[in-house]
Amino acid sequence: MISCKEATKYISQREEGKLTFHQRWQLWQHLAICAVCRLFSKQNKVIINTMPHLYDYNDALLTQSEKDSIISALENS
Amino acid sequence: MSELNATKWVSDYGDMLYRYALPRVNDKETAKDLVQETFLAAWRNHDNFKGEISEKNWLFTILKNKIIDHFRKASTRLTDNLPGVADEDAYFDDAQHWTMAKAPQDWNFDTDAPIVRKEFYEVLEMCKGKLKETQNTVFTMKYLEGLESEEICKELNITASNYWVLIHRAKLQLRECLEKNWFIQ
Repeated sequence: MISCKEATKYISQREEGKLTFHQRWQLWQHLAICAVCRLFSKQNKVIINTMPHLYDYNDALLTQSEKDSIISALENS
Repeated sequence: MSELNATKWVSDYGDMLYRYALPRVNDKETAKDLVQETFLAAWRNHDNFKGEISEKNWLFTILKNKIIDHFRKASTRLTDNLPGVADEDAYFDDAQHWTMAKAPQDWNFDTDAPIVRKEFYEVLEMCKGKLKETQNTVFTMKYLEGLESEEICKELNITASNYWVLIHRAKLQLRECLEKNWFIQ
């Protein structure tokens, strides 16, 4: 039986199809009996699904003086 | 060149390029510098701009390349700082099973539901910002830029085994940080 440490690592490798048939079977067996790693697996999906949207919700702005310095760098180039 | 208007360019695209760069490089100064370099490269090469894609997409393409370049340059520092064993000890016990203190708890949340609250993304960015530089870089390239592990290893000149340790550790930390600061407060 693989450990929780290995199982959680396998979960990331599975996303890229990097597990052998045997490793997939080991992970399946582990998740069948380990509720904590099942939680990790579900919560991992939240991280993966939300990460690409960081940009959508970011409202950081350049200050006017930062913009001015870029503008003058362009005009002087 | 005369038809180009630097002021209009920067006011039309500056903020959106900055917003894209910031969560990736995790540092305001670096993000601002990358935006400036992007505008400069576009400005100097504007004669080669064919108009096959929009000006906006063209600028983003340049910025993405600048960001990967930035990671590549930073990777010489990364190799000095590759993972040791100790950092994961707190998560797993001697038998490599979860420790009581660090085991995931039930978030009582439908993990398939999209999250549309801005406050969540502020917490996510804060948590990501707490990762060590090495972890943050591989994590960003994988989950924000969407690159494959082979490509990331090649760009950063790290081994596959180092890569998986870094991704694993980044996920353990991010998950814990989200749990403590958002899902179970």
